[in-house]
Parts: sequence; C-alpha cells; structure tokens
Amino acid sequence: MKRWLGVAAVALWVSGCKAPLRPEPATPVPATVEELTAAIAADSRRSDHEPDSKVRDQLAADAGRNADACIARAPQAAACLYYHAVALGLEVRAHPTRAGELLKTMLDAASRADAADPEYDEAGPSRIRALVLTRAPGWPLGPGDPDAGLVAARRAVALRPQYPANVLALAEALAKTGDAAGARDCYARARDLAQALPTSTDRDDWLRDAEKGLQRK
Amino acid sequence: MPMTTLLMAAVATLVFCAPGYPGGADDAQPLMDQFAKDTIASTGWSAGSFAAVYDPTEQGGLAKLGNADSVVAFMPYAFYVQHGDQLHLTPLAEADVAGIGTEERWSLVGAAAGATPPALAGYTILSVAGYAPDFVRHSALGALNLPADVKIEASGQLLSALRRVVAGEKVVVLLDQEQAVALPTLPFAAQLKVLAQSPPLPVALVVAVDSRLPAPRAKAFQTALLKMKSTSDTDTLGSLRLKRFVLPQLPAHADKP
Repeated sequence: MKRWLGVAAVALWVSGCKAPLRPEPATPVPATVEELTAAIAADSRRSDHEPDSKVRDQLAADAGRNADACIARAPQAAACLYYHAVALGLEVRAHPTRAGELLKTMLDAASRADAADPEYDEAGPSRIRALVLTRAPGWPLGPGDPDAGLVAARRAVALRPQYPANVLALAEALAKTGDAAGARDCYARARDLAQALPTSTDRDDWLRDAEKGLQRK
Repeated sequence: MPMTTLLMAAVATLVFCAPGYPGGADDAQPLMDQFAKDTIASTGWSAGSFAAVYDPTEQGGLAKLGNADSVVAFMPYAFYVQHGDQLHLTPLAEADVAGIGTEERWSLVGAAAGATPPALAGYTILSVAGYAPDFVRHSALGALNLPADVKIEASGQLLSALRRVVAGEKVVVLLDQEQAVALPTLPFAAQLKVLAQSPPLPVALVVAVDSRLPAPRAKAFQTALLKMKSTSDTDTLGSLRLKRFVLPQLPAHADKP
C-alpha cells in the first residue's frame, strides 16, 4: 500500500512544473533550439489543461522527442537542459510508475540548467527544483526533500523576486516545512505581484493559486 | 424495515485509510474503482452495490468510517491498534505487500553517539505511525518501557526528522521496514544507529466495521479477498503494490486491540 501511495502522489505535483506560454512553432517540424523549446513549452501548457490521458501521453512523447533533439543540438544550453526537465515532468505524469527514476533525472536536468544559466526563464531551474523537491514523495519513496525545496525556492526568489511563480513556489515550500505565517505572507505577495501584471493566462493561474493558498488554514 | 435491509440497499463501502503516506484521494480513486469492480465480480454482488474510497488522513479516515455505509476498511496495522477497539473492527484478511510481505519490523533510530533506551526521557519519537501512540508504545516498542514523558508525534517528513537526530536534537525516529532498509542509502547513515526493533507485526489489514456487513456478506467478501492474486504490477492488486490477501494472523493479545 505504501509504495502505491507514493505513485498516486505523483500526478499532484507535475502540473505545477508547467512552462510559461510560448508561441506555437512557425514550422511543423521544429528545427532550431528556439523552435524546439517553444514546442515543448506549448506541449506543457496543453497538457496542463488536457483532461484526456491519451492526449497527455502523446504530448509527453512529443515533448520528449523535442527535448532529445534539443539536447542533441546543444547539449550544454540552459534552454535545452531546462526544457528537458519540463519534458520529463510531462513523462512522469504520463507514466507515474516510472516516477522515481524520472524525478531524479528531472532534478539532475534542472541542476545542470541552473549551472548553465540560473536566471533562465525567470530563475526557472531553481523554481522547478523547488517544486519537485517540495511536492514529490519523500525519502525513501522518492526524491522529495522539503528542506532542500525551501533552499531552492529561496534561491529562485533571490534571483527573480518580482516573478509571481517564484514567490508561489516559496509559499508552498514554507507551508510544507511548517511556516504557515511565512507561507501566507508569500501567497499575499504573489497575489499582489500578479495583480500588477497585464492580463494573461499565467496571471490568471497565479492569482488562482495565490487565492487558494490564502484560503488554506 | 430492518436495519440490515436498509444497509443492503445502500452502497457498501470500503474505506482505504492511509494516514502518514503521500497521495491524494483524487489520484487514488481510479484504483479504488477498479478494486471495487473486481470485488463485485468476485463476490457476484450486484453492479453498483460496492464502492471503495481513499483517505490519506487519520481524521478523514475516521470520519468516513463513521458513515453507516462504511462496512469494511483497509488500514495499516498501526491504525487498527489505535482505533480497533473504539470502532469495533474485526480482521478479515491480512495484506501481503509487494517487497515486504505480510509482516514487518519497525526500527527505532537515534544518533550513533546519542542516548539509548531507556535513557530517552524528554525525547520525541517521530514516525509516520505517530498518529497511533498506542501502537508505538505497546506494539512497536512494547519491550522498551518508554519513559512517561516521551512525546510521540506524527511526521511524514522522515528525512528532516533524521537530520534533526544527526544535529543532536532530542529526537528519535521510528521507521517501518521499508524505511529502515533504505537507511544505508542516506549520506549521513554512519551517524545513525538502530536502538530497538519491534517483533514482526502485520503490515496492513482488511477489517469489518462494527458488524455493519451481515455475516454471510462478510464471509463472501473475505472469500473474494483470499482468491485475489496479483500476476503483474499493472493488474488491480499490482497497481496497489499488493500481492494477495491471507487469513489474518495477529500477534498474541492483538485480536482485541
């Protein structure tokens, strides 16, 4: 039963690792690093709102292929390493029974992206690490480690303090490690930061997440 | 109308209680539905007459078990020891868990250079089973005679708990078998030591709740459970990381918690 519970938990956290909305690629077959990462970002966004598991499987497979192609073209590029982590997040959602192995690879990809360019996608590598470490099942079932998640979230906020997703990740990490007051402050700050931005899907999602966090006791 | 007839008309429900372990009810529900479907097929009960639900919290599990249609439950042995008497639980079957078996030993882990039992006065025991202090004191650590002021707290964040042990806090951690086996994988494993171990104890039980299920149906349900067997990790039991169910063999004096 216990191991199953770890598996069942996986789908909870993957949706939070979504990438920001990017334009659809201009060509049907992505060729450049920019096109490939844009295609993965689009798959990630679609998967987040896709109710059909078969479609999510296809999106995960598509993102995986594009991530492999990106790494083959530019193995050290922060963009490829970062979107490799994003693609692995989709794969975890599609294949939760392989979560343990995939999560570790995902954390590794995010760490390598962080080493290449910590500020990529508004400190995205640290943000992804924070979300995975905070939400994944903990030792010994998975690589979840709330203490390390808090460190990664603080790093993301230190790098890009005005980006609402980073502040939301910190709020979640604080809540998980028992600092309810700190979490509330961060949820309120994330809401204020999002409200100051122009209308967008991301802004709506951040506001919704902040309100949900503020409603928790 | 007799109460049993009324209950027969309702949907008999199995509650999976899993406090202390990760996982949400929404994620688990498809597996619960499949388990209920297999049970119906095996017992010959009418379609829609049996359901299964999951709750990852102690209080949520207790609330669900308070419903009159909750007639059977799947629970860790710790939950059974803690609440079996109050809820009038009768074991029907014992789970054979993949990679563990039907029984497991619990291990009390402390700092390699720290206090050893019985010198644990003022310490806190952290464990996923911390919600069940009766289980911790009397089943898992019954032979230790813990000091009265030892605190017992529930914690699913064992890595943090073990770091607190290594940092010298007055904390010890009670690990289940799977957790204890993984102990050597920690980078700071050398700074930890096993202070005590429980006798083999059941991992999880399926129980009847307060005789709400009429005896013939309880027997039919038990027979169906004992027939179930996992043949791959993707069938119903395999997805639940279960191999099969066996007749319950509780430790001495544990049949009435």
